[in-house]
Amino acid sequence: MRATIIIFTLLVASFASTAPATAQEGYPLKGSWVGTWGPSKLHDNDLLVVMNWDGKAVSGQVNPGTDDAKMKTATLNPEGWLVHMEFDGKDKAGKAVSYVLDGKIDGLAFRNRTISGTWKGGGESGQFKLQRQ
Amino acid sequence: MKNRVSTALVVAGLLAAALGSAVPLLAHHEILAKFDDTKPSTITGVVSDVDWKNPHVHVFVNVKKGNDAENWAVELESILDLTRNGWSEETVHPGDQVTVNGILARNGSRQLWSKSFKLTKTGKEVFTVAEAKAPAVLSKRPTPRWPDNVPRLGAPSASAQGYWAYPSATALVEDGVKVEMSKHGLLKNIADAPKVAPMQPWALALYRERQRRFLADDPTFINCKPPGGPRQLQLSEGVQFVEDRERQRIFVLLGGGNTNYRIVYLDGRGHQGQVGGDDDNPLYYGRSVGKWEGDTLVTDTRGFNEDFWFTNGGLPHTDQLTLIERFTRPDLDTLNYEVSVDDPGAYTRTWKASWTMHWVADQELPRQLCQDNRP
Repeated sequence: MRATIIIFTLLVASFASTAPATAQEGYPLKGSWVGTWGPSKLHDNDLLVVMNWDGKAVSGQVNPGTDDAKMKTATLNPEGWLVHMEFDGKDKAGKAVSYVLDGKIDGLAFRNRTISGTWKGGGESGQFKLQRQ
Repeated sequence: MKNRVSTALVVAGLLAAALGSAVPLLAHHEILAKFDDTKPSTITGVVSDVDWKNPHVHVFVNVKKGNDAENWAVELESILDLTRNGWSEETVHPGDQVTVNGILARNGSRQLWSKSFKLTKTGKEVFTVAEAKAPAVLSKRPTPRWPDNVPRLGAPSASAQGYWAYPSATALVEDGVKVEMSKHGLLKNIADAPKVAPMQPWALALYRERQRRFLADDPTFINCKPPGGPRQLQLSEGVQFVEDRERQRIFVLLGGGNTNYRIVYLDGRGHQGQVGGDDDNPLYYGRSVGKWEGDTLVTDTRGFNEDFWFTNGGLPHTDQLTLIERFTRPDLDTLNYEVSVDDPGAYTRTWKASWTMHWVADQELPRQLCQDNRP
């Protein structure tokens, strides 16, 4: 019986370690989002988006650093929690590429909520998924 | 021993189920967040254990099923509520035969919110909780004052004690709006959501989502996050004002939760650098400065973080929130409170709400550890 209790305790601990973090309770897009948007010949697999909310519009940056791109447009439609993002980036050769991403927020109540959907740009398209940090 | 092992397994199982389904364990919460009032049920069995801990007391009951027994967790009110009504850890004991009538957990686990808990042997109903009512005021007593004639917001004298409780409204709703809500801010009719406050579309959609989930995601109850802003003045266990005249500040202590507090500075400082240096971190209680305008304390609070709900019921806010609050004590037993909410990140305009609180004399502020160190 003791072994059974220990197994249950470990089970509980394992669930606890995957329990959602505390929610960020303000504007749902605000914060840092990390994920992937590949595979693609144009860009690397990793995607980092940082967004802010001033009460009227969303501003943000994509892949801050050497590949930094300023967000041109980012909107949130609360009917279905649909997200639309546009920005101008560069491909691996340094050529300008306009990207459009459309996705949906899942796990709205949790800090580590996600946005998943599709991207297109430079004649390519694919899936992306971002998770709020 | 067998009963205790069985109880331990059931507790572990319920915990695993709760975490696995991402439905959090809740503290002193909206009951409908966890239990379904359309699913009444009655169980009869033998008490296996009494878990007398915050936020809610549980009694575990073995219910016979064929040749086996199922262990049920019966959830009751908080220790504070039960104790106030004369009940204790000794009210029932392992081995007692009981019949419990209540409502079932939404997640299908063997949990029951008790509406009626009876001892089979005597037929006596136990763990009943009467609605708390403010003490009657027979006649108005004058506002207590400091020697310089400024009203005292706390105890009327150095030797007295007391606190403020029994708010006339327990959820933030714009003045003049009438909507039906539970004491935790759950709307009776979700179609009333747009009436509550002038929310931006995203804020209204988020508020509706929180309401649709029966306030189950409330971080004050899931994670014991401080109830900053006006919410501190709408919780069931009240608040206490401790006035430090020498250092020109007022501590607003939280009743019934973890021992955190808000500080209102009256020394003329600005909103930054209150702790030291250029401290401007966003805070649960914000950065609060105040001054007396006649007999009214007017506070200006900003610098809130976004990690909590500033109202019962889940109205959203952003870090652009500024609150102007007015505290007036027209007589010893009454506190008039008015708040102006200015948050261009979440609302379309500035709006106001107001309510009164009642003085609870000669008693200490109720205290409890939010989750009693539960996981």
